Amino acid sequence: MDRKIDDKTILDKFVEDFVEVVEKHCKYIIVSGFVAIAHGRSRGTEDIDMIIERIPKENFINLHTSLINSGFECMQSEKPDKIYDDYLIRGDSIRYTRAGINLGPPEMEIKLAKDELDNYQISTRQKFPLTDLDVYFSNIEINIAFKEELLKSDKDMEDARHLRIIYKEDLNEEEINKIKEKIKKLRLKEE
Amino acid sequence: MRDKSHMEQVERWAEHVKNNPQTWKKQLKPFLDAQIIMAIRFYNKLAQTPEGREKIKLLRNL
Repeated sequence: MDRKIDDKTILDKFVEDFVEVVEKHCKYIIVSGFVAIAHGRSRGTEDIDMIIERIPKENFINLHTSLINSGFECMQSEKPDKIYDDYLIRGDSIRYTRAGINLGPPEMEIKLAKDELDNYQISTRQKFPLTDLDVYFSNIEINIAFKEELLKSDKDMEDARHLRIIYKEDLNEEEINKIKEKIKKLRLKEE
Repeated sequence: MRDKSHMEQVERWAEHVKNNPQTWKKQLKPFLDAQIIMAIRFYNKLAQTPEGREKIKLLRNL
């Protein structure tokens, strides 16, 4: 793949700059809409979803400090203790943007891994040469399963259809069905 | 619910991306960038108005 550097979108550059900091502190995956967009889905988004390992507070404070020193700001608070206790550990997401743009997009929405399904997503993470991005994503089967079984909006079903076409020769349907069963057990029973 | 023609266009575009790995991003970049550039321009303008920062926080669910 020899796309020119200037083919990278604002979203691509934001994600690559952000993960360059995060990967020094913990394992992460990019999930949801940006997976489809990085594979050419022609739709916009202003937030990118990231799941990180369930790191302890001290590690998060180091990560937050590195992000601030690299030109990002957290939209929820400047205090990493508060961000961790009031949001992350309670299962809520936190958001970072580039500093100095009045909280404008794009933003990175981060959550801690919350169950065995998230841990499985992180343990099977992949980079996709087709995207031309040096970024870890949750694997395609997991993305399709979440969109078809849990999220189910028009946009999500279209994302899933798009990914199914891009990877039609390689998809593991057995794996998709296995993930869908885990989603039913771990996520849908909560509702 | 979007109609059938919408999903057909999703499928046509996905086939295009699959068959044109060297060029699809160049085609898509202006569209994706324009949305971000327009939003940032708007937020910067809004921040300069009275209570602009507060309105941004409301827009961003903060």
